[in-house]
Amino acid sequence: MLKKLVPFAAAFLVSTALHAEPVMGGRANVVIQPEPPSLMMGLVQNGPTQMVAGQIYEGLLRYDEKLQPMPQLAKSWEVSDDGLTYTFHLHDNVKWHDGEPFTSADVVFSADVFLRETHARLRTSLEHVESITAPDDTTVVFKLKQPFGPFLGIFEAGTMPIIPKHIYEGTDYNNNPANNTPIGTGPFKFTEWVKGSHILLTRNEDYYEEGKPYLDEIYWHVIPDAASRAVAYETGVVDILPGGSIENFDVQRVADMENTCITDKGWEYFGPHSWMWLNNREGPTADARFRQAVMYAMDRDFARDALWNGLGKVATGPVSSSTRFYSDEVTQYDYDPEKAKALLDEMGYDGETVRLLPLPYGETWQRWAEAVKQNLEEVGVNVEIVSTDVAGWNQKLAEWDYDMAFTYLYQYGDPALGVARSYISTNIAKGSQWNNVEGYENADVDALFDKAAVAVTDEERQELYTQVQQKLVDDVPVAWLLELGFPTIYRCNVKDLVTTAIGVNDGFKDAYIEE
Amino acid sequence: MADFWKRFSRNRGAVIGVAILVVVLVVAILAPLLLPQSPWRMVQRPFLPPFSMDQYPLGTDALGRDVLSGLAYGAQVSLLVGLVSTLAALLIGIPMGALAGYFGGWVDDALMRFTEFFQTVPSFALAIVLVAIFQPSIYSIIAAIAIVSWPPVARLVRGEVLSLRSREYVEAAILSGQSNLTIILRQVLPNTISPIIVLASLMVATAILLESALSFMGLGDPNMMSWGYMIGAARTVIRQAWWLSFFPGVAILLTVLALNLIGEGLNDALNPRLARRGK
Amino acid sequence: MLRFILMRLGKAAIILIAILTLNFFLIHAAPGDPAAVMAGEAGAADAKFIAQLREQFGLDKPLLVQLGIYLKGVIQLDLGYSYRQQMPVADLIFQRLPATLLLTVSAFIISLFLGTLAGVLASARVGKWSDTLISSLALLFYATPLFWAALMAVLLFSVYLNWLPGFGYETVGANYTGFARALDIGKHLILPAATLGLFFMAVYMRMTRASMLEVSQLDFVKTARAKGLKPSIIQRRHIFRNAMLPVVTLAGLQAGQLVGGAVLTETVFAWPGIGRLMFEALAQRDYNLLLGVFFVSAAMVLLFNLVTDILYRVVDPRIRVA
Repeated sequence: MLKKLVPFAAAFLVSTALHAEPVMGGRANVVIQPEPPSLMMGLVQNGPTQMVAGQIYEGLLRYDEKLQPMPQLAKSWEVSDDGLTYTFHLHDNVKWHDGEPFTSADVVFSADVFLRETHARLRTSLEHVESITAPDDTTVVFKLKQPFGPFLGIFEAGTMPIIPKHIYEGTDYNNNPANNTPIGTGPFKFTEWVKGSHILLTRNEDYYEEGKPYLDEIYWHVIPDAASRAVAYETGVVDILPGGSIENFDVQRVADMENTCITDKGWEYFGPHSWMWLNNREGPTADARFRQAVMYAMDRDFARDALWNGLGKVATGPVSSSTRFYSDEVTQYDYDPEKAKALLDEMGYDGETVRLLPLPYGETWQRWAEAVKQNLEEVGVNVEIVSTDVAGWNQKLAEWDYDMAFTYLYQYGDPALGVARSYISTNIAKGSQWNNVEGYENADVDALFDKAAVAVTDEERQELYTQVQQKLVDDVPVAWLLELGFPTIYRCNVKDLVTTAIGVNDGFKDAYIEE
Repeated sequence: MADFWKRFSRNRGAVIGVAILVVVLVVAILAPLLLPQSPWRMVQRPFLPPFSMDQYPLGTDALGRDVLSGLAYGAQVSLLVGLVSTLAALLIGIPMGALAGYFGGWVDDALMRFTEFFQTVPSFALAIVLVAIFQPSIYSIIAAIAIVSWPPVARLVRGEVLSLRSREYVEAAILSGQSNLTIILRQVLPNTISPIIVLASLMVATAILLESALSFMGLGDPNMMSWGYMIGAARTVIRQAWWLSFFPGVAILLTVLALNLIGEGLNDALNPRLARRGK
Repeated sequence: MLRFILMRLGKAAIILIAILTLNFFLIHAAPGDPAAVMAGEAGAADAKFIAQLREQFGLDKPLLVQLGIYLKGVIQLDLGYSYRQQMPVADLIFQRLPATLLLTVSAFIISLFLGTLAGVLASARVGKWSDTLISSLALLFYATPLFWAALMAVLLFSVYLNWLPGFGYETVGANYTGFARALDIGKHLILPAATLGLFFMAVYMRMTRASMLEVSQLDFVKTARAKGLKPSIIQRRHIFRNAMLPVVTLAGLQAGQLVGGAVLTETVFAWPGIGRLMFEALAQRDYNLLLGVFFVSAAMVLLFNLVTDILYRVVDPRIRVA
């Protein structure tokens, strides 16, 4: 297994090739999986929507691989010394795809009116905002109630997409017919969507950055079967397979093809982090020793090598190593079945069957659940896998009707945005699967997260987040699995596709195809 | 009986079918003795090709689990699902058909409308919906297969009963004052047994195919190692590990083939003049 | 005749309403609802967001009221709006219908033609090696899991031999028009239609053969033979015609299933048809869309049953159609 991975690692090095002069023209053929429900990013922000609509809509900022902000609709910005006022200066030559001029009024409408209504994740972050104003056509000012450390991290297109005020103001957002023909400011315009087949975007000739984008058009191919998606790449129908397009088992084989590059970059902003929810309320999983035993019982290195092609890292705790303020100074849980058995003996586990919910997103997750079940049974835990589809899974989690359940969530670059939500006790509420689903309650952890979010300096925040990570890792509220690696696979003559922390999602602005 | 065997064994295909089925049965029953390890156990490196290690002659799957062991335990599940769901379908279909055929009139009309109703929805689609709604488990799978496969039974039994109803001995039984239930159970149904047996043997085959198709769509019981599950799980790795889907596919094919051959043999032996009906 | 057709149409309408009602309750019994699914897909959602969605979809109303609203719409031939795809259900279905019909009808016609042909050939040479060969092959096709055959076909013809495209409806982005496009679709059609047709072919072959043999034992055939008619004439005029009755019945039944019966094939070959639409709608709890698919496929079955019955009456006036 490991031997096979060596040429694979070499492919990573090749992918960061030398830069040459970009070539104009050409078409990118890309897989999109699954078919997005809508391309109106102000209303829908799921993975596939962000990937396609990220070329149509833009945010004020982009982020590089180190999560440092870069200009997008905002060409520059300042933050006041007290950390309370954020001022953005916008480009003045931006037009919507329908020809209307883009101004600061659009930004205020999007952030203050539209997205507050429709974007649950942003809504939470905007609670720290006192006011959003537009002193002139090209300036927007956000005033905060108190300092909020991760604030500069919420201006990416999927988090705060800027949508056209002239189309949406005063309408019923969800039923606006314009939702089917999205109008943005981005480098590509929406042209055609044949449901079940493909989505076509074409070059925005009036794009405000001179000379960009380079490609004429992007074809997003809807191919519902994973094996067929791999065949599509092999037979040359598509040239780009964004992360997660093909089953992990196929990655190695496809990556070994000629003229094929692979990169696991472009996910730093998301930091996809996988774990099993453990129901802290009842059953064996309510006992911390049982939860620690689960950590020792799992062979996570095997899972990574057998199921994830050796990509990704074994997670050390709640924070991904690509997220800010990560710390590895925590208790380590290596694969140790004997330790697990000892812990189970100590707690007096009586053989009660625990129900395990796999994540209903494809074969890898199913296999992973089977592997974990086997790992646990080998230390004497009885496990029953409960099969369910996406709807059933969502409902069971939201209603806390499970013992253990696979999941993975994004971290959005900062623990205050994507980590705290899963552990703080104020976030326990039935009816949603995006909060503290496991029901973990610890006043110390709550206080540390609260303090860290509003601390002004990074040193202070690091100190607090290190403490909270140590506490959580000892308590094991959930069983952390892997920091997932989602490789983007593409023909090597596609250049500059993945240059930012969200990779393909806003990558076609800079991408070009070498002859 | 001897006569039956003579006629049955004259059909060479049927004998081959019985031979195959006996092998499958023996493997299913002896699986825990021959291969005591759980088929879910990760025993070797993943994707071990077949015939490369004596201990695991059919290789290993994506998690390093023994394919041969999976096949053996899978035989249990496939046969179980096939038999139980067929039995359940017969339990629904026979009374329906018998009542409809025996009483005729509005009873017949109502029951046949009901049957028609089930035949109006595409059966595989209905099975998918049922399993998805009641969440995949061995019980929901068996129930779904039974629910979509009883209508042909009802139709067959109805037809048979309808023709028996006007026979003299049935008329005589009615005149002698026997209760309807007694007549149906004692006089009518025993005479419909042969075509039912033939149909049932074919239904077991169809049920095994249906189970595998459901598993292939990701609607199998996640705690049961079945052939359909093995193909479903192997489908994404078919390019690098052909053996993972090939062997269970062959197992299904052979078992279904055997059941069909037996069905034909039974048909020849039991109703030499009766055309195959149902499907 | 007209009265008969009207009566049957009336009955069909009642069955349709009953099917929709049953399916309505079935799907609402499934865990989760479209709001939960969409919240799940959004990657983040709070109770407010979900409540908003439910209200927007009308899912906050009592179940019976929802059913009433839905049925009222259906009676006015309005199949409602897909929650997830943000489009009228009828549009979605009619967008997908041609692909499914192309696939299933071509598989159906090929298999009916080849299947009966093979069946007749086999029955004419009953007991000879060609009969054994045809019958064995038919049995083999009949016993092969459809999805497995499909996978193996893709592996062989698309991946290893590279003769035919292994998935999809047409080459996306090729922008063919006219004849070139038809040719392109035709190429994509071969593998799925062949695998789907293989199974049906086996069914028709077995049916035809059995039926031919049975009819050839009947008295009127014996009489014809006794009269000294040429065997080929007997075969054609006497046996074939009568033997086709059960085959036509079966074909009528199966023709009705053409809309909903290709889920597996469509999945393996990524064929953008109704079957896939149904499976997606089910997973997403897109109630209106799923009911719409069931409505269309059930209507198709009923229509074909009616057509078969009418044909029967025309062909053979002795048959009393209830």
